[in-house]
Amino acid sequence: MLTRTDIATPAPSLSTAKPVVQLDGVTKRFGDAIALHEAWLKIAPGECMTLLGPSGCGKTTLLNLIAGFLDADGGEIFIDGALVTETPAHKREIGIVFQNYALFPHMTVANNIAYGLKTRGVEAGEIKRRVDEALALVKLNGFGDRKPRQLSGGQQQRVALARALVIRPKVLLLDEPFSALDKNLRASMQIELKEIQQRLGVTTVFVTHDQGEALSMSDRIAVMSAGRIRQIAAPQDIYCRPQDRFVASFIGDASVLSGKLLAVTDAVAQVAVGSLSVEVPAASLAGLAAGADVDLFVRPEHLVPVDGDGDATAPSLAGTVRTQVFQGGHVDLYIDLGDHAAQPVLLRSSAALAPSKWKAGDVVRVRPISADLVAFPKQDD
Amino acid sequence: MKQRPFLGWFVSPAVLVALGLTAAMAAILQYSVRAYVPGSLDVGGLTLENFTALLRPLYAWAFWGTILLCLLTATFTLILAYPVAYALVRVRSKALKSFILIASVTPLFLGEVVRTYSWMIVLGNNGFINSVLKSLGIIDRPLQMMFTTPGVVAALVHVTMPIMVIMLAAGLSHIDRNYEKAAESLGAGPIRRFMTVTLPLSMPGIVAGFSTAFAWTFSAFATPQLIGGGKVNTVSTLVYQLGFASFNFPFAASLSLAGLVMTFAVIALMKRAMRPVERLGEQ
Repeated sequence: MLTRTDIATPAPSLSTAKPVVQLDGVTKRFGDAIALHEAWLKIAPGECMTLLGPSGCGKTTLLNLIAGFLDADGGEIFIDGALVTETPAHKREIGIVFQNYALFPHMTVANNIAYGLKTRGVEAGEIKRRVDEALALVKLNGFGDRKPRQLSGGQQQRVALARALVIRPKVLLLDEPFSALDKNLRASMQIELKEIQQRLGVTTVFVTHDQGEALSMSDRIAVMSAGRIRQIAAPQDIYCRPQDRFVASFIGDASVLSGKLLAVTDAVAQVAVGSLSVEVPAASLAGLAAGADVDLFVRPEHLVPVDGDGDATAPSLAGTVRTQVFQGGHVDLYIDLGDHAAQPVLLRSSAALAPSKWKAGDVVRVRPISADLVAFPKQDD
Repeated sequence: MKQRPFLGWFVSPAVLVALGLTAAMAAILQYSVRAYVPGSLDVGGLTLENFTALLRPLYAWAFWGTILLCLLTATFTLILAYPVAYALVRVRSKALKSFILIASVTPLFLGEVVRTYSWMIVLGNNGFINSVLKSLGIIDRPLQMMFTTPGVVAALVHVTMPIMVIMLAAGLSHIDRNYEKAAESLGAGPIRRFMTVTLPLSMPGIVAGFSTAFAWTFSAFATPQLIGGGKVNTVSTLVYQLGFASFNFPFAASLSLAGLVMTFAVIALMKRAMRPVERLGEQ
């Protein structure tokens, strides 16, 4: 099993391929609270779709609805083209890796992996062959006779992954699978999981609250908050072209500059911050008239110090260094821009800038350099 | 002692109780090796005669019968209590949960004698069951339920239920629901899920509940005495008859001791036999 051709998914073509998972306006209520509000989602074959959001945003609810552990209060769910809204979980052909792995403590590793094959009535010889293959896939050859409690956290996670994949699920669901691992192990497991996912071409739904995980693991990310999907896009697009304030501030670090809308021409809007003028996409400022207050979002690596050499004449903003934090590969400078930003803005620069170059209290001039700036109507917090 | 300045004070009541119990046990031990003097409450010299007398068929049968009664009671209690405990742990509605808890625990507060009398009303020749069956025309002569082993078991099961429900519920509540979800996602329907995951994982609770029910029943007195009416003899009822009808305290004491040893032995055996089963539920 477990070769790309076996699971039979051609390279994902996100726009044209028939979706493996499709949610049409799925709603879930718990009592009076709406946990999920009309979620529309299509996941292409072989795609890794991440549901990202803070706790309580509805991402786990959405996962449980796809798995069949919860019943939808509205809308329809399709898996592989078949309507499964009313189908119980054990008939949905899904594989799940739980946050705590939920390996059956009373069974050996091999029996854990074999469980889903036994329920399908696969004959014993075939079970053994596929269990061995699955163990090899997660690099745990020879661990079949151990009990889960004799394994480390990382090994338990591999077993959980093998158990979920051995049944050749239509969809693989991952519920915060890395949160129980320590930081170093987490990074290597992410790479490994990503490799396995791509090699098998298994359609995957990955739930996490960790944006770093989401950005590195996914083909597309659905950012969620308060029971709604706010934006569905590729990681780069989510990072560079967030659709609303929530997405802009939840993904990555962003500093907020206070600006004024100068003019809107077609798709591009001119925004002024002090003596600076920058261009941003107009879509997020729809309905605002020239002169309106806007918030300009700037990524820390898109803000650069203006040195005396060369471009000193370019427009820039004056500020005072509040704090500088040495981060190893780079330095984080928190700069007070006075009236231009309510909070100190973050400037991230490579360590070549040497800790001695800036210190608290120094006056610096900064300017944004990226084409990927976004602005939203001003919001008072 | 410095870190726990009140330890001595806190422990002292327990020490007093323990001393009292030890003294009582010592007295029974002492009685059991004394000769019986017919017609007198005083006892004679040291002897082992009381223990050899235990080997007589009447008493050997009483022991065997008691163990059988305990096993029957523990088994039926387990079968009846498991669904109740399961519902108690799994029911979502808070109100229903409270109802199950109250319904299953209140019998504990009624006392064994009251509960036993209520069973006499149910089981008697003119009791509830017989009158219902008669009025439905299913039987024309009353079924004999009083003074029979099934009657005693029925009442003992009722007496033992609350403790079994509580112990099983404690065991069940420790099972992570994700195990069942995992089984479900792997294609297991409700029955397979229960047999392969929930039941094995609840084994520690089952073993604990079964052992407790066994010991609880072994020492039960009022129920076998009142419902058995002398026709169903257990170790407890024999001790009572020997001690308070024949005033043969030495023999009653040796019988009590033998019962105690027997209970320990059976529970130890049971623990032993169930160890591999119990290990199923280890996490």
